[in-house]
Amino acid sequence: MARSTRMLSTAKNRTSQEEGLAPAVRGLAERGQAPLPDLFYSVVLRFLCALFVSLSWVNCYGQHRDNLVAVHHPDLSQLESDVRNQITSQQNALAAAIKDPTTSDAKLSEAFGAMGELYHAYSLTAPARECYMNANILAPQDYRWIYLLAKLDQLEGRVDVAIRRFRTVASLRPELVAAPVNLGNIYLELNRLDDAEQSFSAALQIEKQNPAAHYGLGQVALSRRRYADAVTQFEKALELAPAANRIHYALAMAYRGLQNPEKAKLHLAEQGPVGVRVADPLMNRLAELVQSARIYLIRGKQALEAGRFEEAAAEFRKAIAANPQSVPAHVNLGATLTQLGDLKGAAEEFEKTLLIDPNNTNAHYNLAFLLANDKNHERAIVHLKAVLTINPNDLGARLLLVQQLAKLSRCDEAAEWQQKLIEAGYKTVPCPLK
Amino acid sequence: MMLKLFVCVAVVGLNLGPVHLLANAQSKKSPPPRTIFNEVADKVGLTFRHYNGMTGKFFLPEIMGAGGALFDYDNDGDLDVYLVQGSVLEATDKPDSTMFPWRETVSPRGRLFRNELNSTRKLQFTDVTEKSGILATRYGMGVATGDINNDGWTDLYLTNLGANQMYLNKGDGTFVDATQNTKTDDVRWSTSAAFFDYDRDGWLDLMVVNYADFSAANSPACYASTSARDYCTPRAFRSPGNRLFHNRRDGTFEDVTAIAGVEKEFGHGLGIVTADFDDDGWIDIYVANDGDPNQLWINQKNGTFRNEALLAGAAVNRDGKAEAGMGVDAGDFDGNGTGDIFITHLMEETNTLFTNLGKAMFEDRTREAGLGMPGRRFTGFGTLFFDYDNDGWLDLIVVNGAVQLLPELMRKGDPYPLGQPKQIFRNQQNGSFTEVIDQAGPNFQLLEVSRGAASGDVDNDGDTDVLVTNNNGPVRLLLNETANRNHWLGLRLVDKTGRDMLGASVEVVVTKNRILRRRVRTDGSYLSANDPRVIVGLGSATRVEAVRVRWPDGATDELRAPQVDRYTTIKQERPVR
Repeated sequence: MARSTRMLSTAKNRTSQEEGLAPAVRGLAERGQAPLPDLFYSVVLRFLCALFVSLSWVNCYGQHRDNLVAVHHPDLSQLESDVRNQITSQQNALAAAIKDPTTSDAKLSEAFGAMGELYHAYSLTAPARECYMNANILAPQDYRWIYLLAKLDQLEGRVDVAIRRFRTVASLRPELVAAPVNLGNIYLELNRLDDAEQSFSAALQIEKQNPAAHYGLGQVALSRRRYADAVTQFEKALELAPAANRIHYALAMAYRGLQNPEKAKLHLAEQGPVGVRVADPLMNRLAELVQSARIYLIRGKQALEAGRFEEAAAEFRKAIAANPQSVPAHVNLGATLTQLGDLKGAAEEFEKTLLIDPNNTNAHYNLAFLLANDKNHERAIVHLKAVLTINPNDLGARLLLVQQLAKLSRCDEAAEWQQKLIEAGYKTVPCPLK
Repeated sequence: MMLKLFVCVAVVGLNLGPVHLLANAQSKKSPPPRTIFNEVADKVGLTFRHYNGMTGKFFLPEIMGAGGALFDYDNDGDLDVYLVQGSVLEATDKPDSTMFPWRETVSPRGRLFRNELNSTRKLQFTDVTEKSGILATRYGMGVATGDINNDGWTDLYLTNLGANQMYLNKGDGTFVDATQNTKTDDVRWSTSAAFFDYDRDGWLDLMVVNYADFSAANSPACYASTSARDYCTPRAFRSPGNRLFHNRRDGTFEDVTAIAGVEKEFGHGLGIVTADFDDDGWIDIYVANDGDPNQLWINQKNGTFRNEALLAGAAVNRDGKAEAGMGVDAGDFDGNGTGDIFITHLMEETNTLFTNLGKAMFEDRTREAGLGMPGRRFTGFGTLFFDYDNDGWLDLIVVNGAVQLLPELMRKGDPYPLGQPKQIFRNQQNGSFTEVIDQAGPNFQLLEVSRGAASGDVDNDGDTDVLVTNNNGPVRLLLNETANRNHWLGLRLVDKTGRDMLGASVEVVVTKNRILRRRVRTDGSYLSANDPRVIVGLGSATRVEAVRVRWPDGATDELRAPQVDRYTTIKQERPVR
């Protein structure tokens, strides 16, 4: 069961995690086959080559496949069963494509690419990389695999390779704005400001109104302490992506540099956790591949933490659709709805949680929190006492309970519950509360 | 205004005098050493292995500890070591039946090691825990050092998962648990702590940073994005808030968290460093939070603080993102006279360098300093600004260790797949750093789950050594082997009782145009406590024009032409209030 969260303490999954797993095995070898190119296929290919005596055919099928890398399929035993099944099914499809001597390079490339995407979608980056490499060897002009390899390189800090690959993508697919934006971001991090500026400008050549490119140019200007230019670029980015409230922070820093603290403060008041993202169809596709209630939950929590509440609610709803009895999905949906201001919907989710798991302290606490805000102190008290029956050491619940009792002027009772809080160093809650 | 107070200058007899003479003679001619740091812990009797009590339930505390301290508990002029130990996490667990069982006959507990350098002229440690009276058997996290009662003996504050402990140094080689008497307990999950004198009354106050409202009972199951089980982030738990204790000068402390205003904002706190960031003569506080904006508590000079981190540009990174702050240190790395801040973070984030533009206005210059990409590869914890090569410019060390399972290590069958190498960055004297890989020393390449790092001159040879603590692993003592390369000035700043004047700042005037600013501290890094002495690298300079001291109470002193390549004690002869 994935973890639940409280409204004011939402969970976050750390940056992408990879498989959890046992010593590596060469996936194909494990299935009783040699890693590619294996002996059997080499023999078959050579036979066919001899049969057709076609040099070009040999070039297509023989030499490319000689260069394929071994794919180390991961141990899936620690993964959720849905994920395991989904990956196994894709592995079988790849194995069938490999086995079939009539599979063209293009089709085999697709099979490796699809396998890589699925691994990538579940953050199994090492086998994803191997699959993409094979897909790229078999279809060197297909920008997708180079792009996704570059994304992995970028993620894992192989910046020189990432730069080379993004440049290749840019030449193969000049209209893909994500390539120069990614390049610009890498150059920024390397403090190669001229290169970064050039890349973001190139992105604007492709898409004039691209907020990520404007934001990048703003960061370049900020690094150069050209604050007025930074303001211009950040304001443009904000105009194009008004929901990206993290831009306000950058704007505040630029205004601070312009010795305009008042404007800086105004923007700081509006800053938030949502950043600018470049449209990235290939990475978006990865997200769509995921079919796991648990991953929906994780993604929902990531979105929740980033302040993308609508997206978070959608992920939690998907998690509930996949598993209606999912307690954390209901609790987190409740927490998200609270953030969206749908307090009635939130309370319903917590109540649904308690129907599934009557001892869920998070649901009790969150419901109590909502009830307390709604001045329904009596009902809040019931839920808080439920929390403390299950976990007497929950100081947060205890504090809220004492506050609710004080609101109802039940001071003796409040004093009883308060003792442990005082021992823990909390301030005394006055009773009755003013 | 410069107050001309009586200054007592004492030249400390150097224990390794002959070594220094040799060192000075060789200072310019000898080739650079092949190895900067040699790891010698076992060799010098520092035998300690951290125990984390893990049972496979992925409890967050088991991967977070623990720290260590370099401090001179017996006032014999050399640095002793205290090492924090873990324990089991559930009452029903037995240390010998956890995933990495405890094999020793005595239960796990924090340990005190006495440095025998001054009595034997040889760097050697003796475990004196039994005699010391320190009984630290709780689930330990960190340690802070400072003399809380102005008796000239350094006391210990131990942070735990659960009740903390204050150990008062009796001055006879033993300590007594004074937690209840001093009223400095905090039963929450505390991490780093710092002693400093925020109200300039001549008595050390204490700030304790707390991390997460964890209990074995409330620990949820967490998953990686592969869908496999993994460690939770702190955000699975509420942040409990920090605590500020004011020293009442009568052996007790008062909890002034609310009065001082520091209860208003907090996050999942892990690191703390105190310094006068706005250069107004009053010590400020910087708290590094894991996943939440950091706080910069600016001292309002009236017993209260105001968090100004956001406008100051030190709450989040340049992209406006709150990062996973772990360890933190402050120092004037660029030589402009202001305290800069460096914070370690998760892998795939960068570590972050906030340069102080003056008056506590900061700018994230991580990538300009060349510290962006190198930090992305690892999860950093302990970190220190220190001048390892005594060239007069503060370098950086970062000790790393992941907090979520590393697939590459799992594939290799590593039973604790969180290990990562350590990193050292040399100051290029132009606002940037370069990672030193080949010369750092073989221990830097070892994959360990490093957490704490404490700096100090353990062998009194005039360069800075580093104590590194490893989670579920052995302690490391990285002995600096660069002593013979550059000149240095060692300073110990004390009051008339012999208390180290934490928070005092020094300006070492090498020439009119070359002024090095350092501060006296034991805080900074992660869960650890540092040598309060100040070592100032002088490069090839063989003399110093003056040392200007600003004491924590605001008074100033000046010492003309102190001798270099040795330690000098400067005493403030002012009555304690």
